[in-house]
Amino acid sequence: MGTLDYIWLGILAVFQGPEFVSLAGISISVTLAMIFFGFLLGVAVGATPGLAGPIAMAISLPILISIFGFTPDALLPVLGFLIGIMKGATIGGAVPAILFNTPGTPDAFMTTLDGHPMARRGLGGKALRVAHFSSVTGDTFSDIVLIICAPFLALLVEGYLDLPEKAALLILSMSFIAAAVGGSLAKGLISTGLGLLAAYVGTGQDFYPRLSIGNEALSEGFPLASTVLGVLIVGAVLHELALYWRRRDDGTAGTVMETEANQRLSLREIGRLMPYIGRSAVVGTMIGALPGIGSTLAATIGYTVGKRRYQKVRKDDALDFGEGVPEGVAATEAANSSVSGANLIPVLSLGIPGNAAAVFLILAAESIGGFTPGPSVFKFTTDQVNPELVIAFGLFTCMFLANLMNWTIGGVFMRAMAVMTRIPKQVLLPVVLLLTLTAIYVQETAMAAVWFTLGFGVLGYLMRVLAISPLPFVIAFILGGRLEDTSRQAFAATGGDPWFLVSSPVSIAFMALTAIVVVAAIRRGRTD
Amino acid sequence: MPSIWKTLIAGAAMLATATGAMAADWTPPGPIKLLIAFRAGGGADTQARLIAETLEDKLGWKFIPEQATGKGGLTMAAALKKAPADGTVVGMAVTETFGYNMAAAPNAGMKPSDFAGITTTAGFQMGVVSASSKGWKSIDDMIAAAKGGEPIRFGVMSPRLADIAYLLGKAQGVDFNIVSVQGGRAVLDGVNAGDLDVGFMAGIQRAGVAAGDLVNLASALSVPLEQTPDAPTLATLGVEFDSDGQFLFVGPAGMPQDAIDTMAKAIAETISDAESKPGGLIKKAFGGPVIIQGAELDAQLEAGFQSSEALLKAASE
Repeated sequence: MGTLDYIWLGILAVFQGPEFVSLAGISISVTLAMIFFGFLLGVAVGATPGLAGPIAMAISLPILISIFGFTPDALLPVLGFLIGIMKGATIGGAVPAILFNTPGTPDAFMTTLDGHPMARRGLGGKALRVAHFSSVTGDTFSDIVLIICAPFLALLVEGYLDLPEKAALLILSMSFIAAAVGGSLAKGLISTGLGLLAAYVGTGQDFYPRLSIGNEALSEGFPLASTVLGVLIVGAVLHELALYWRRRDDGTAGTVMETEANQRLSLREIGRLMPYIGRSAVVGTMIGALPGIGSTLAATIGYTVGKRRYQKVRKDDALDFGEGVPEGVAATEAANSSVSGANLIPVLSLGIPGNAAAVFLILAAESIGGFTPGPSVFKFTTDQVNPELVIAFGLFTCMFLANLMNWTIGGVFMRAMAVMTRIPKQVLLPVVLLLTLTAIYVQETAMAAVWFTLGFGVLGYLMRVLAISPLPFVIAFILGGRLEDTSRQAFAATGGDPWFLVSSPVSIAFMALTAIVVVAAIRRGRTD
Repeated sequence: MPSIWKTLIAGAAMLATATGAMAADWTPPGPIKLLIAFRAGGGADTQARLIAETLEDKLGWKFIPEQATGKGGLTMAAALKKAPADGTVVGMAVTETFGYNMAAAPNAGMKPSDFAGITTTAGFQMGVVSASSKGWKSIDDMIAAAKGGEPIRFGVMSPRLADIAYLLGKAQGVDFNIVSVQGGRAVLDGVNAGDLDVGFMAGIQRAGVAAGDLVNLASALSVPLEQTPDAPTLATLGVEFDSDGQFLFVGPAGMPQDAIDTMAKAIAETISDAESKPGGLIKKAFGGPVIIQGAELDAQLEAGFQSSEALLKAASE
């Protein structure tokens, strides 16, 4: 079993799974069909203001699991669907940003700056084509970096990091996420701390369920799906509803104008856009590889970098960034789309999720079982097949198939999705809430899980009101168990050394970086 | 009608009802919830799911497998204890849950008599296993290394095994750094990655030992391991306790006897057939089926609970 055999097995796993339909004698596997459906759903939710990829991933996951079950065969169809959503949503977000000046996803805000003025000048179709081309290019670049880097990083981690260093790395990642997400370190730390607190209810090595105050429902701990969906989805829905309640009189006027005859992108124009797309793709990929920062910052930096270059080469009479230039759309869309692939580098090599989409991929893998994202995936065993590695290459195949769909049919679907912007929020939000609660009940089959979800929804709402990002909460909740286990194991393995976190040069370096991250965030807070 | 015909028809009718009744002594009133005390995707979880799947095909029953992990099976046991005792909820765990773990957690308020044993399915081929790259050929090499000052990280997947590892070190005059991890796969991964030097593995080591990557240094059972019969047992190494135990299906106490008997019989038939999926898995990973049922099983669980007191006492000295 060499590396190439594993790659080949991964590709086969996607194409040869159970048959979905047979078209003209060619058998279409379930996984392939699921990527396609996920992709369609992704484009649609990306184009719908108030919805985003993670919401669709969250709601579909329990439904998918109830269809496909908990067997390892379910992994690729379910993960393929989620990846389809992830990829589709990256292009969908630009649609309402350009046509209606309302970003479909938060990271498409910068797209409105140039995309909407272009639409007002009658170049709506062209702006969408620029957004599509830049998005897909950035995304594909990011995926290539992921596939090259993740296995090596994983092997490095497994080869050089001992238990104390792994514990230190988890602490560093969580501090980094707390410091990087949102504006304030204190708020990030509060969010992380609450996540850890929730993770430690009812768990642990002792036979007595800790922190459960004698309550039976608490003694099994909070279900992963209830906590994550409650804080991320229900919290967002409640917050949106509250905003809608206050602003329901505001109407946003649509302006779809395609007065100019030529909406196509010529090769020359593509050549002119490539320097912007290239820079933004690199920026987005680098940001994506760091857990927790996310695509909104990538879009901002990509736009700023693009603007700086544009002002150097611009002719005096040409339009500037912000007045409707295709370069502005390209710089933003390439940056925010190239985050998604690289974001899976820490997921697959360390098991540390960096954004909400990655959280749901991990949630799927943990719920189904048989695939534990982390360094042990990339064991190239030669005497017998490592099924997790096959799944990993299957995932890469899914990503490239979704990219292929993006390249070929994505543009057409994207332009057809303008209609999604017309769905009124007072209809959309309750539907999302109902679907989420139903999905939770389907997966957990206990009313306690629904109450937990609503409880965490209120928590998520309050966090949003207080401008505390819920992402560190969710990531800390997911990593809390591992942090405890790894620390306990490192403590035991070093023979009960209380200084195990600073026992080797690597762990000292990780802990020093943790301190630097925190101090830097405090200093940044003071200067702002 | 001649009376001989009458007799024959009556006889045939009786036979028909009798065989009919034997094929379905008991049918579940609805789908059966199967609470699995093991992490999804591991060998034990796969075993439970394959048995459920095969019974579904054979008997037309419907199973809903569900993970109830944590606290050495006590999470599952607590849920099972509360469940209706009509055969619609059963659980799968290891005998250790009802012995050591219940004895060690008096707060949880559970004892074996709260449950009805259905059947055991398989034993463990529990060995003390190291990576062959460590260079240890026997347990003596490891003890020598420990005496030479090398810290030994000993991976265990339950508190009972942690106690046994401690007693092994005590009997041999060395101290191990005993590291608790979740499940046998985590021990295997830790040993392979070099995070652990040695650990207990309950059958998962088979392929690695056959390929020469892993070494069974000792048998943690009262009998030698099938794969490495020359490895010494714990008793010969001065430990008076062993890790003998089985995987088992249980129901809540008060489950109807015909439900227990029907399920026990069906499971035993499935796992005894090496051609069936669960039978093949049990043969390959756990060294073949071990079937203990009825009063014998209940007595064994009760005895395991009582004798665990002795191990708890020995390990706390």
